[in-house]
Amino acid sequence: MTTPTTTAPPERTVTLREIGPARRGTRPDEVVVALSPAFAGHFSKTIVDVPHAEVLRQLMAGIEEQGVTARLIRVRDTADLAAISHIAAKMSGSGISVGILSRGTTMIHQKDLARLSNLELFPQSPLLDAPVFRMIGSNAAQYAKGESPQPVPTRNDQMARPRWQAKAALLHLKEFECIEADRGPVEVEAVFGPGTAG
Amino acid sequence: MTSTAPRQSTGHQQSLRTEILEARSVNLDGFVEEWPEKGLVAMESAFDPAPSVRVEDGRIVELDGKLRDDFDFMDTFIANHAIDVTSAEESNALPSAQVARMLIDPSVSRDEVLAVTRGLTPAKVLDVVKLMNVVEIMQGMQKMRARRTPANQGHSTSARDNPIQVAADAAEGALRGFAELETTLGVLRYAPLVAIALQVGAQVGRGGVLTQCALEEATELELGMRGITAYAETISIYGTESVFIDGDDTPWSKAFLAGAYASRGIKMRFTSGTGSEVQMGNAEGKSMLYLEIRCILMAKGAGVQGLQNGSISCIGVPGAVPGGLRAVAAENLVASMVDLECASGNDQSFSHSAMRRTARAMPQLLPGTDFVCSGYSSVPNADNMFAGSNFDTEDFDDWNTIQRDFQVDGGLRHVREDEILQAREKAARALQAVFAHLDLPPITDDEVVAATYANSSNDYPFRDVLSDLKGAQSVMERGITGLELVKALESSGFHDVAENLLTVLRQRVSGDLLQTSAILTADFVPLSAINDPNDYAGPGTGYRLEGERWEQLKKLRHVTSSTNPETEVG
Amino acid sequence: MTALTRDDYPLSINRPELLHTPTGKPITALTMDAVVSGELSAEDLRISPETLQLQAELAEASGRPQLAGNFRRAAEMTAIPDADVLAMYNALRPRASTGAALAELADRLETTYSAPVCAALVREAAEVYERRDLLARPTGDDD
Repeated sequence: MTTPTTTAPPERTVTLREIGPARRGTRPDEVVVALSPAFAGHFSKTIVDVPHAEVLRQLMAGIEEQGVTARLIRVRDTADLAAISHIAAKMSGSGISVGILSRGTTMIHQKDLARLSNLELFPQSPLLDAPVFRMIGSNAAQYAKGESPQPVPTRNDQMARPRWQAKAALLHLKEFECIEADRGPVEVEAVFGPGTAG
Repeated sequence: MTSTAPRQSTGHQQSLRTEILEARSVNLDGFVEEWPEKGLVAMESAFDPAPSVRVEDGRIVELDGKLRDDFDFMDTFIANHAIDVTSAEESNALPSAQVARMLIDPSVSRDEVLAVTRGLTPAKVLDVVKLMNVVEIMQGMQKMRARRTPANQGHSTSARDNPIQVAADAAEGALRGFAELETTLGVLRYAPLVAIALQVGAQVGRGGVLTQCALEEATELELGMRGITAYAETISIYGTESVFIDGDDTPWSKAFLAGAYASRGIKMRFTSGTGSEVQMGNAEGKSMLYLEIRCILMAKGAGVQGLQNGSISCIGVPGAVPGGLRAVAAENLVASMVDLECASGNDQSFSHSAMRRTARAMPQLLPGTDFVCSGYSSVPNADNMFAGSNFDTEDFDDWNTIQRDFQVDGGLRHVREDEILQAREKAARALQAVFAHLDLPPITDDEVVAATYANSSNDYPFRDVLSDLKGAQSVMERGITGLELVKALESSGFHDVAENLLTVLRQRVSGDLLQTSAILTADFVPLSAINDPNDYAGPGTGYRLEGERWEQLKKLRHVTSSTNPETEVG
Repeated sequence: MTALTRDDYPLSINRPELLHTPTGKPITALTMDAVVSGELSAEDLRISPETLQLQAELAEASGRPQLAGNFRRAAEMTAIPDADVLAMYNALRPRASTGAALAELADRLETTYSAPVCAALVREAAEVYERRDLLARPTGDDD
């Protein structure tokens, strides 16, 4: 359970430092991680309060433990997960990307697939926790290496609707408000703030 | 982590009472503040348009503050097809309070109300129902429901897509009273076998029950055309142009599809519901109910006989905002007050709280609707492939007791164990025979025994899924139709089941089930808004739970005999 | 023949003599014996255009003009093969067809299938799609 409490140790935080316009990569051993407009900006945690710092740390660790490099970009002109992920896949040297929305919804994409298709989709954001993000990173890296990993097991919870459906809609609307039309994707660097190493 | 984990304490010292309240299941549900500018509001929004209508040369040229040139495609379709041009100006000129009073006044007949509502614009309809509290909405529903006799619909699915389970549960569901049974799949390729199982099981339980298999349009239509299913309802429509387009449809494509179903003699209704537009981020700043009223009028204009609404799969959205369930009750009323069949929701997991789940259904159960649930789970929710319903098999006895307590007809009844076991076994045997006759993967006697006594998919032997999928494919390739099922049943000695199915198939030749709110009685009489029109006209009139049906509903699992209190009646 | 009234419903019980299959058999011929002897085909279990017109009359008599209109479109559609019906539906999806393609579809409905009511629906759609930018754009390699 990752719901923060006042007695818990201070959380890791992350800020995203913009480096410059995002470019197409040339390294075949990279996965591009694309973040939505409000990720680690307007919002700091997913729908179930997983800190964005933790999401990034796990995704990157999952990628790097496969010997693959993670490169981060922020997409600013859309909050559509398929679009975000597909833009990133086309910029990825390996053609593989992970796209993620602020509320946690995540997708692994590949540049040669149709935009509305994907390699793996994790639509139920309330069910995504730190271990799942690590597995997603790991799988993305394996695709980048040309392997065919077992898909990350998907979970289902019929009671997610009563608890989370409206909040998900609200978060979606807020993320929409953070869209900056006509601004292209930027390369970002994750600067992790104070907190225990978890 | 699961979503059902309790919230954690804040760390401040809490009272013991607060601890108890925090642990209550209702606090696992999600609630949000309204955001009317974005459409996250049930039915009271300053951003909804004011009603207006203007007709020139027999054409609506102004609708709810917009001129025809500015109409989006919903406005255009509604103006061209849904609103009665000859009465529009006059009806919309009536004070909204007067129309609202007509809805609840027993001395105003249903037909007199329809004479007014057929001319109303979406904003005017909203203006009317906004005046009504939830009791008035129920009063309105009691009179405006199209069919006099209420009914219920069940979901019969399997987490393993196991056809034997679906057949046995369909038989039990039909026996318990569902007039319609709906299935869908985890693995879509299983559809032909599961649809056959549903049809066979349903006709074992009670002849004349109508079945459907929710799939993408093409396959759903094909199963219907072949007579393997009897009706369809997963034809979704949306209240804004942008969301409609996201769904890859328009009012004209859906209207065409409505004609296609009728042209094959297949009963069909559309599906819509509050919350879908805001959920998809394109509510265009309008309230959930306003957008749903646009859907309802679009369905009316398309000439489809009915609508499944009541938020449906988006129930978590209206369920989380203030007045949300009042809006959901109102959307059911609006469908009925424009003379559509209403299959009124209560079909998706809605709350962690049993109290809230029950309360959610009262505005439909107490006045009665055409189908109180558009999917009561007649399997355990874990087997419900529609992502869980508001009620499932564990709630059967509660539902029956509530019917008995209030003397209301929610479409179900208590059935004795021996009858249930007999029906389940017979359904499994009948399906076993059909599979054998059609050279499909065999059903073993062990599976039949499991089906007789099972609760969930976990209680059945594993099927050889690959063989089943091959069999399913061959059903499609060989062009097997409902007629083949009749032959298979007849030749294997299930004469009564074969007759039941043939009678259902014969109905499509007559087209009687295409009329508004049609169901088939156990005597195979089509019962619709034409020959069973709602004639409510105040106390003592309309549908009353009485006579033989009331005697049925007085029965529960345990009732102490008044003749001999040492025994129970059964 | 006088127009049907609500009292004629259900036709399967009150007016079976009016009901025929598209193959011309009376509805009373749809018996178990006929099924078993193989006299019936799937075609015999379809609704006929005449029956849909009768149901349209009933809908009209019950104050449901839109439902009646749907039945009239349906009566026309009985002549269209299953695959074509689905193809036409797909053609009406947003940005699926050019204005010319929809005009051609409407003409085909009228001439090939004698389906003027369906054709009118398609023409209306074409007009609205054009105004709302929902037509497919004509391109060299596209129709």
